[in-house]
Order: sequence, then structure tokens, then C-alpha cells
Amino acid sequence: MRPTLAMRGLCKSYATPVLDGIDLDLLPGEVHALVGENGAGKSTLSRILAGLTPPDSGTLELEGEPYSPSNKRAAEQAGIHLVMQELNLIRTLSVAENIFLDHLPHRAGWIRYPQLHRDAAEVLARIGLPHLDPQTPVEQLGVGQQQMVEIASRLWRPCRVLILDEPTAALTDPEVASLFHQIRQLQSQGVAILYISHRLEEIRQIANRISVLRDGHLVATRLATELPIDDVVRLMVGRELGTANFTAGRTRGPIALAVRNLHAGDRVQNISFDAFRGEILGVSGLMGSGRTETVRAIFGADPIESGQIFLHGNTQPATIRSPRDAVRLGIALLTEDRKGQGLFLSLAVRENLTVNTLPSFASAVGWISRIRETASVRGWLQKLQVRCDSPEQGIAQLSGGNQQKVVVARWLLRDCDILLFDEPTRGVDVGARFEIYQLLADLAAQGKCIVVVSSDLTELMMISDRIAVLSNGRLTAEFTRHAWTQDKIMAAALSGYLSPTTTP
Amino acid sequence: MNRPAPHPVPSRSLPPASRWPREHLGTLLALAALVLVFSLATRHFFSPANFRTIANQIPSALLVATGMTYILLLGQIDLSVGSVLALSGAVVGVALSQGHWPLPAAALAGLAAGALCGAFNGLVTLRWRLPTFIVTLGTLEMARGGAHALTHSQTLYLGSAIESLADANVLGFSLPFLIAITVVLAAQLLLTRTVFGRHVIAIGTNPEAARLAGINTRPVQLAVFVSTGCLVALAALIDCSRFQAANPNAGIGLELQAIAAAVIGGTSLMGGRGSVVGTFIGVLIIAVLNSGLAAVGAKEELKRLITGAVIIAAVIADLYRHRRP
Amino acid sequence: MNRYPSLALLTCLALSFFTACGPSQPEATTPPSPPNSPTRPRIALVMKSLANEFFLTMENGAKAHQKTNASPYDLLANGIKDELDVTRQIDMVEQMIAQRVDAIVLAPADSKALVASCKKAQDAGIVVVNIDNKLDAAVLAEKKTQIPFVGPNNRIGARKVGDFLASKLQPGDPVAVIEGAPNAFNGQQRRQGFVDAFDAAKLRIVSSQSGYWETDKANQVAAAVLSEHPEIKAFACANDSMALGAVAALRAAGKAGQVLVVGFDNISAAHSMIQEGRMLATADQHADQIAVFGIEYALQLLATRAAPADRETPVDLITPTP
Repeated sequence: MRPTLAMRGLCKSYATPVLDGIDLDLLPGEVHALVGENGAGKSTLSRILAGLTPPDSGTLELEGEPYSPSNKRAAEQAGIHLVMQELNLIRTLSVAENIFLDHLPHRAGWIRYPQLHRDAAEVLARIGLPHLDPQTPVEQLGVGQQQMVEIASRLWRPCRVLILDEPTAALTDPEVASLFHQIRQLQSQGVAILYISHRLEEIRQIANRISVLRDGHLVATRLATELPIDDVVRLMVGRELGTANFTAGRTRGPIALAVRNLHAGDRVQNISFDAFRGEILGVSGLMGSGRTETVRAIFGADPIESGQIFLHGNTQPATIRSPRDAVRLGIALLTEDRKGQGLFLSLAVRENLTVNTLPSFASAVGWISRIRETASVRGWLQKLQVRCDSPEQGIAQLSGGNQQKVVVARWLLRDCDILLFDEPTRGVDVGARFEIYQLLADLAAQGKCIVVVSSDLTELMMISDRIAVLSNGRLTAEFTRHAWTQDKIMAAALSGYLSPTTTP
Repeated sequence: MNRPAPHPVPSRSLPPASRWPREHLGTLLALAALVLVFSLATRHFFSPANFRTIANQIPSALLVATGMTYILLLGQIDLSVGSVLALSGAVVGVALSQGHWPLPAAALAGLAAGALCGAFNGLVTLRWRLPTFIVTLGTLEMARGGAHALTHSQTLYLGSAIESLADANVLGFSLPFLIAITVVLAAQLLLTRTVFGRHVIAIGTNPEAARLAGINTRPVQLAVFVSTGCLVALAALIDCSRFQAANPNAGIGLELQAIAAAVIGGTSLMGGRGSVVGTFIGVLIIAVLNSGLAAVGAKEELKRLITGAVIIAAVIADLYRHRRP
Repeated sequence: MNRYPSLALLTCLALSFFTACGPSQPEATTPPSPPNSPTRPRIALVMKSLANEFFLTMENGAKAHQKTNASPYDLLANGIKDELDVTRQIDMVEQMIAQRVDAIVLAPADSKALVASCKKAQDAGIVVVNIDNKLDAAVLAEKKTQIPFVGPNNRIGARKVGDFLASKLQPGDPVAVIEGAPNAFNGQQRRQGFVDAFDAAKLRIVSSQSGYWETDKANQVAAAVLSEHPEIKAFACANDSMALGAVAALRAAGKAGQVLVVGFDNISAAHSMIQEGRMLATADQHADQIAVFGIEYALQLLATRAAPADRETPVDLITPTP
């Protein structure tokens, strides 16, 4: 059978290769599941197919013809549609207007609403939402229905390839069922469907073939019937282990942070764990599993619904209603979005470093001693080996790794001893990552309590003493250094999605 | 899920700590050029008497623009300053002319009115997380209404009850000018040398990062709103004293004038960047323009055309100055 | 961070929007007459800004007249928010036409732009009387219509003030005029009156600039004129608010009492200043009576349907009482 879409030798690099020589065929009328760890390259591949990112090298063929979309519109005209994880709807417009946004039926610019609503109702009926009024504003819908509308807005077009990136993340079971029904219908019309998900259970139900991506390589493409779930997990994780070990020379101290039955929004459900001085606790989990939300809730950045946080072995729970409370209690959060939430990009290194410790350089009336401030900044820059010209250099001019060190210095200067790191090496190039790992290890050795959230399992296994695994907003497993394997951690990260009713 | 993009390691460095003379070089040159042009074009522009006249005209604009600079530094905006000026003036006027209060008591009442308006702006903005644009637009109308209600839409004559303030003078400079200069210097030092000022800059640069750094952002913001109200009230007091009258129509369009002065002086509307000294230069540029164009005898439409062009030119110049090559 | 992109633009847009829309309902001070009293004439008084003391006085005078007048009538008094908001005033006149009032007494915000609306009212059988600011004769002629003007002769009033000022000066003395808004006929008339007086007395006018009726603007202009022409002997201002600004400029320059200032309108603040010797003189055009004269004339026209003719109201020179 001639493939609908054939990929040959696709490569894409950013700092490091993200996709390396991908050869993959999508056959007409098949549901092809694409699985892989965070950062394995799934999203990049789908973006290339949909015309959002050009590949560095390699070719695409659509039904035998060369295919190189210059943008999303070109891809859609060729019949290749991508439904992304993030919703792309315009919340203030109606369902019908969203579905036909770029093809509104009109006469001389005046929208023909009767036709629009008739067409939209037809599309909605096809996708299993016959009762949804096309005139409803999208913002009045639940996330699940919004996701369905997003899919509907793709489905009415001539379609040869449909790429679904985590389509069921926000859907309820009946919605998933009607989506699958729709997928099977498209399948019978000969549409090739690339289905990206880490919900292996669903993949079992719907996929004909499964491809596994690992670190930018396509490690396997098999018929779904020939590939048990355990094998999928093993293929995703691979066999190579990180060789470096940053845990030497430290001993676990007393308990510093105890979280009990924490609830905050959908993504933090009944989380409990302990973290100790002199150790690094890694927090693993897939994208959207609630890792970031958990540390933000502990830090008081987002409101907590229920649950308790005990600090330094106290029997009374701590009151943390705002980041200010958390900082006073010695907790620091280094956010994953360093530029958006951590740095003051237009200010100097000095100002970034001392922003929350200014009173310690100031007289009683708030007059800052610039000499003492600069001296202290210089000391920390040296201690953490930050490469910059002077404390007055703009922080935006530093590399990601050095920026991260400045943020770390900010909290060390504040004398925080519980440090929550969310993706500490995001935006840090490979060479500098090891410096950050060493810094984390040094901090733990000095008796700090370190919690590291990371998408990079290899990274966590190099630096952590223990790893807690979140899945679908719940803590599903906790491993010590000697007990963990990549397979076990990956299985735990997926377990929350296998059956929605399971509780850890 | 992509791998992180590489991050370039630049090698250039910013100018050293004492940034401000260089920072304001452009605007100072523009100011000098304007003075030069008007000195050549008219007979008496370049004279101590004329400079003294200009100096005595700017205090109220300077005070309001200083407050506005802080508001803009926070990434906020205050459209109500003109109306609040009229309201504070009305309070002073009514207290003096109808209540026959002593001047200090009337002045305090005016300051309190300004502070209350500022507090109202700040509290409503922070409590309901509304854009200050909308909140202060509402206050603009309310304060103007209040000023008219208090004065029954009449310009209140205050006469000698208040003129002592504007007429007091040291070395040829009026008391209001000296007050305004003191406020500018204090505000600049507060901004660059104190914890409070640094927190204002941090909040204006990145409010979320400031919150996550553990800074208590609300009191800082509220303090800025209230101080701005007080500065506007002080400007109202000075205006009352200059004109010996409280006019309920005073200060119409003052908000745009203050924003223009700050922007000319290099303050960013996005927050986090700007300086009071820059605003001072901006106020001077506008005052010199007004005075010079009037001395030349230019028509009002030409004055507006030129003032508008100067504002736009200043913003474009600022863009080039801060664009990374 | 980017919460307010292109804020300056937005500001201007929002402000112009705000002033353009204004309050959508006229502030009717008397409810429209009940339908069961058809004989009582309904008179609409449309003024400029009620935020201006002058028009407030005018309105109060009209209200007092309405209460005490022998033959009863209903009064609908309206003002606009901003003196320069011509559009709003046109809307208001048209609203009055729609309400089928019997007469409209109008103080136009613009001497040309309001003519068309007045013509429309006349065509609808409404008596129109123009007060305060005279409609432009050329435009009236072009529209082939006649609208009676009842009000002070601003030129003669300004001439009186100017003559009094000239009597305190020597021929050849330099003086300056601070004009009103250039689009207002009464402003032009007052300027002309001052010029008539100064020419007659052979004074030298070294500067004549607009202060746009505002204290602050007039203050800037006066200060600039003072430093450019230090020899100046007097300022003639087209209204009292601007005279306040000129007086402040004199004080700031240390010339209080050495340079004479005259104004126009006799607002209470100016009145006090004249008594204290800070201003020399002003003109009183009896704001409280202008509207009354207009209303009385409208009633008369309604009763007699006589051919309309202009009527002049008195303007008095106000000088310090000895």
C-alpha cells in the first residue's frame, strides 16, 4: 500500500539534536500511535508535519508528491491538520464561528449566519455533539467540550492526515468514546491519523501501529497487537543509564519539609511526601502531571484547597498563604519559566540578585548602602562562579546557566534552606548543566533541603537521592536510589492514566 | 517538549552604576538646542528674568509629573491627576473662603483629599485587580464632579489668604519651585537608593517575579498611589496660591501633559524603566517649548503641532537608545 | 509586563470618546409640561458649559424669572459638559426640536456650526432666539434666515473697558491682548473692542495671542510676553479667568501693581481682585439677565409673531468702588 505521508531522514536540532533521521510511513486508514518520553521529539515531529517548523534536513512525501509546507495554512490546504494540546479557540466567539473561523460563509463581507449555524450543527452532530448549540460562546463550555470543538474545527475540512497531540488530556470518558468513534469513521474514509499520547490504555484501544521515539530516534515501529505495554515502556526508556553520580559525600539530615494530603486544583490531588536536609528529592512525571503545580502550591504561589505543610519537624502546620509567607519561612522557589517569573530582564545582575534581601543592606529608613550591596553580590558571583563582566551587567546578557546561578544566589543570600527547583536546567546548555548539578549537590552537602522537578529522567537519576513520581495529579510512587529503574519510574508516571479511578 | 534553545553568551556590558548623566544626554542636548533656538529667535528669551519666570511656572507640573513617573514605573497609569488637582484645590478653596480655616489646616485638608483619591485608585485597582486605566478614568470624572459640587462651579477667590506661599522667595526662586526641586531630588534618591524604590522598579519590571521573590507588592503599590495623590494635592495648593483662586476647571488635560513629560524623559509606559530626573528634564522641555513659542508669538495650533512632534520624536529617540545593536 | 501596550494612543482615544459621548440625557431642570396644559408655552434654554460660572449664573437668573414671571411658562434648561463640545450642543437643539418646544433660547458654542440646527428649528415652527454669542451673519445670510440676537454688544463692552484702561496710560505705551478661543465670535468681538480703544488712544499693541479662555494657558502666554516685552504696561484679557492667569504671571515676575490688567465678565474672583487693586477693571454683561431678556423676547415673539429684530442688552464697566 502506498503511504499517505512518508517521512525520510527527518532531522531537527536546537541546542542538541531533537530529531535524528526519522523514517516513518503513515498509511491510509491507519491510526498510528506515537509515544515517547518528554523531550523525545514527538511534538517537534508533529510541528514539522503541520508546517509550523521546517526540518533541518530530510524530505516528506504526500501521496507520492514532494511535500514541504511553509506554514500551517499550506499544510492544511494539502489536507494535513494538527490539533494541538493547547486550545487555539477564540473564547469570546461562538462555537460555529470558531469552527469556520477562516472560512466564514459570507456575502460581500456580511456573514451568513443561518448557513454558518446549519453547517456547524452538521459538523457537531458528526463528532457526537448533536445537542451543542452552535451559537454558544466557547468560553461557556467546559475544557472537554472545547477540545471537541477544536477537533471539530479540523474535521470538516478535506483531510488526508490528522495529527492529534494528546487529544484526550481534558476529556471525560463519554467524550473519549465519541472521539474514538469519530476517529474510526475517518479511518474508514482512508484518513491517516497520527495519534500522540502517553495514555497507553487508549493506544491499545485505538491504534493499529505504534512507533516509539527516544531521544530523537525512532526506536521501533510495530503492529499494536505485537507490542505489549511493558515492551512499550521499555522501548521508551531505553537501556542506557546516566553514568555520572552527584550524590557522593553527603548524609541525610533531619526532616525539613513534610507535605500531607495536599489538594490544589485538578492537578494536585492528595499529595503527601517528606523531604530532608542534606538530600535531593527528585520529582518526576509526564508533562501536565502536576509537578509544577505541586511546588507552586507549597510555595504559596497558587492557593491551596486543603492539606498541611510541616516545616523543620514542627508539629504545627505552617501557614503559607503567599510567596511572602513561604520566603519568610525559608522556602525558595526557582520557577521553570525563568524569564517570565524569575528574572527582571531589563535590570542588572546586582539588582536581580538582591531584590528580596535589600533590607539587609539598608539602614533603618531604607537607605541602601551600595558599597555593601555590591560587595556581597561580588562575593556570591565568585562563590557560584557566575561568568559575567561585572555586577552591573544586564542579566539578559548572561547565558541561561549563569542566569540560573544568579537566581540561586538570590535565594542563598536570603538564607533559604528549603529550595524548590522547577526545571533547573531548562534553557541551560549541556556543558553548563553539569555545573548546575554540582551546585545542587554542594547545596545538599551543606545541609540544604533540595527538591528538584524535572522532565529529564536521566538528570533526576544522576542527582537525586530519592525520586517521587507524579501521574495525573497524584503521587503514584516513590523510589530510593537503589530501588529505581527507568522502567519502573516510567511505568509509575504512566500509571495514573491507565485507569482514571485508581488511587495510589 | 522541545529541547531548550541555545542561549547566546554575549560579551558586551552595560554602562557602570552612575548611569544617569549619559542616560539623559539626549534629552539634555534637546533642551539646550531649544534654549539656543529661542534665544536666537527672540530678544529676551535668554535672560535671568525669563528663566526665573519659567522656573516659577513649572512647580505644579513638576510635582504631578513626579508622581506620574512613579505610577508609570509600576507599569500603571493615573488619568485622574488633573481632576484630583481641581478637587484638592476646591477643598483648599472652600476651607479658606467659606470655612475661614487657617492656611495650614486648609492645606492639610487639601492634602488629605489628594491622598484619599490616591488611596481610592490604589485600593480599587489592587482589590479587584482592575486595570488602572479604567479605575482612574472613573476617578477622573468623579473628582471633577466633586470639585464642581464643592465650588458650585464658581472660581473661588482666595486673595491674600494664600498668596504668601507662592510669593515667598529665596534667591529669586519662589518657594513652590524650591519645594518642587526638593521633591524631585528626594524622589530620585528614593528611587535609586532605597529599598522602596528598588521594589517599585522590580514590581514594574516583572510583577510576577517580584511576587514570587517574596516581595509584598500591594503596600508598595498602594504607597505609590497615595503619594501621587499627595503630590497632586501639593500642586493644587501651589496653583491656588499662584492664581489666588480655586478653579473647578483647573488641570484639564494635565494627565496627558504629565505622561508626556515622563515619556520625553525616558520613562517607559511598560513599567520598570524611568527616572525622576528624566521627567524633570521632560517638564523643562515642555515648559521651554511653551514659553519660547509664546515669546515668538506662535499660534496655538502651531504650539500643539510642535509639542506633539517633540513627544513622538522623544519616544523614537528612546527606542534607538535602548535597542540592542 | 506588557499590560498597557500603546497606552498613549488608548488614552487619547478613550478621552476623546469620553468627552464626545458625555451624558446622554440633557439635565432637564423642569419636567416637560403635562399634556393637559397646552396653553403654557414651553421654552428651551440651551447654554454652553454649566461648569462655567457665567452660564450657571445665567441659568439661575432664568430659573428665578420662570418662578416669578406673571404669565407662566415651562423652562427646560440644558447645558453641555464641555464648552467646546459643539456636536453635543447640536444634538441638544435637535432633541428640543423633537420635543416640540415652542421656543429655543440658545447660547451657541460655535457661531457658525449651530446655524443649520437653528434653521431646522425655525422650519419646524419654533421661535429661536440667539443670546450671548452672536451667530455668524454670513452663514445666516447664506441659509437665508434671520435669527434675532438678544445680548450684549461685546465689542462695545470691551471698548468701554479698553477706554478706561487707556485713560490710565500714555500714548505710545506698549500693551498686550490675551484673546479668547479664536473660533468664538464673542472672543473676536472683545478683541476688536480692545483694539478700537487702544488705536483711539494711540497705544502700541505688542502682542495679541489666544489664552483659550483658560487661566493656565493665559498665565503661560502672559509670562512669556512679560519676559519678551519687559516694558509692557497693560494686559487686556478677553475674560476674567485669563485675567487671573495674567495677574499670577505679574506676581511671579515681581511686577504686581506695575502692570495693569483688565478682564471681562465680572466673575466673583475678578470682582474681589478689582476691589483689592490687583485688577483695574472688567465688564459686567449681567449674565443673570441675558437669558431672561432672551426668554422675555421669545415670549413676546410667541404672543405677537412679530418680525424678529436684534436687541441689545446693557454692558457695564466695573471699576473699584471708591
